[in-house]
Amino acid sequence: MFRKVLIANRGEIALRVICACKELGIPTVAVYSEADRDSLHVRFADEAICIGPAKSNLSYLDVPAVISAAEITNADAIHPGYGFLSENAEFAEVCETSGVTFIGPPSAVTRLMGFKQHARESMEQAGVPILPGSKGILKSADEALGIAGDIGYPVLFKAAAGGGGRGMRVVREASELPGLLRQAQAEAAASFSCADIYLEKFVVAPRHIEFQVLADKHGNVEVLGERECSIQRRHQKLIEESPSPAVTPALRRSISARLVRALNAVGYTNAGTVEFVMDDKGDLYFIEVNARIQVEHPVTEFVSGVDLVKGQIMVAAGARIAEVIRGPVELKGHALECRINAEHPETFRPSPGRITGLNIPGGIGVRVDTAAYQDGMIPPYYDSLVAKLITHGRDRAESIARMNRALEMFVIEGIRTSIPLHRRILAHPKFLAGDINTHFLEQTDILTPAATEEDAG
Amino acid sequence: MNLEEIKELIQLVIDTGIAELEVTRGEDTVRIRRNSPVAAQEIVVPAPTVAAQPAPVATPTEEAPEPEDENVQYVKSPIVGTFYEAPSPDAAPFVRVGDHVTPGQVLCIIESMKLMNEIEAEISGTIVGKLVENGRPIEYGEALFSINTD
Repeated sequence: MFRKVLIANRGEIALRVICACKELGIPTVAVYSEADRDSLHVRFADEAICIGPAKSNLSYLDVPAVISAAEITNADAIHPGYGFLSENAEFAEVCETSGVTFIGPPSAVTRLMGFKQHARESMEQAGVPILPGSKGILKSADEALGIAGDIGYPVLFKAAAGGGGRGMRVVREASELPGLLRQAQAEAAASFSCADIYLEKFVVAPRHIEFQVLADKHGNVEVLGERECSIQRRHQKLIEESPSPAVTPALRRSISARLVRALNAVGYTNAGTVEFVMDDKGDLYFIEVNARIQVEHPVTEFVSGVDLVKGQIMVAAGARIAEVIRGPVELKGHALECRINAEHPETFRPSPGRITGLNIPGGIGVRVDTAAYQDGMIPPYYDSLVAKLITHGRDRAESIARMNRALEMFVIEGIRTSIPLHRRILAHPKFLAGDINTHFLEQTDILTPAATEEDAG
Repeated sequence: MNLEEIKELIQLVIDTGIAELEVTRGEDTVRIRRNSPVAAQEIVVPAPTVAAQPAPVATPTEEAPEPEDENVQYVKSPIVGTFYEAPSPDAAPFVRVGDHVTPGQVLCIIESMKLMNEIEAEISGTIVGKLVENGRPIEYGEALFSINTD
């Protein structure tokens, strides 16, 4: 097992990794920017090294600073958390050459998964359904027109080398295709230094379904069910749940078996999430692999009983899946997560500041992952996630009831939060019926001023 | 003396702002010296009851008295790494307390990922304090030298 783990992250996920290390008896090193000097992950780690000023690119994203911190503290492993350097193949490589174990997939695999077209091809070869589209990078507008004609409009242009919506264009008819292709190429070149674009069928109002995987270094891959993350605003997830109301046991079994095959073939190790879209016929299509632990991992931990972060550390140190997951994976009950952000619930303007009052809900079936504390500061330099509130129940109705009760009793004063928004979503009949997709907020009246007047508090 | 008691003593030093505290109980002695702006990180405990490995010590070695002087500026490390006072193990230190330095003059090396980074003075003045000892791990923003500006 590792001698010492350095956590190359901040906030709640840094604390989460520290928790797993404490349970495994591994000393921890926190790294922090000057803005995070008084944060909880610094307090609860065994050692802490200041690595830079507040700005992320000068601190948490500064590879030499993070590696040097590992060197001077003699850490032999680094957990990158999510975001920041977690899917940076160069960083994983530097760890490898510095003799520090990167707790994640091998850098070559992360790099491969980062090239969306390669990931699609790998999945297709293993029988994982992918969206109809171009076989590779588009060579011309004519080629695109041909493919689009075959698979039918609308179609979507996507950047091969990046994501986050950049280099993406929806094409609804042939006449607009050439112009939109040029736009997509220009945007991709500017954002990712690579103008390569591929084409996919565009699914209107899809459901976002993702599967959690954990693989060891001995060729064993386990799939721990799926999560549905359809409730989003501007591509940012707000609520996640497991299991998905739309996934049948048969579909789950079929996809899981193919994913094991696919991930084995590419030599995947450690934790990861495979994202899909589901169309209105209930068919799943592969989108991409996130080669890291994700924000919403606690949802899967609740239904599977598996500590995924401990699992990451154990398999990185050479343990087999059988040591991490005793027996077959059993998914029990239903779990929900609300991402509580420090932002105004209607304007969505960020709301950093000092937390003057805090009551964290508890009780049966309730879990809160947070680095917030009374009198603590939410700094303006990083993401606005204040807390993750996760509930579990024997079925979806119970986990929703627990979430409602926990949201009601979650007091955060001094900053604005998205709690009122979450409560409105959970009260909506479509959500209660499981009738959701990624356009849920736009299709309902939840964001309209009339609906929001009632909770101006 | 256990770790909890030592932590309470450290807090006492921080809260009261006193410069130095030495406590002897039986055969155990703890001396805590506080130097602003470097906050005491970890304290080496000589007592055999402490099971954990001693963490790097934050107390300085050679050091001139630090006046509460507006003219005194601190040279702070811009990177994380290991502090070396000389260009090589046998060589003389780049600077000593009392030396006058000018902008661009190399004061020390911070080694990071096998690269030796020369840290240069940005001001003119006299070194009044060398705040860390040779070979010490350094974090970002840690004070290395104090300089009495011209």
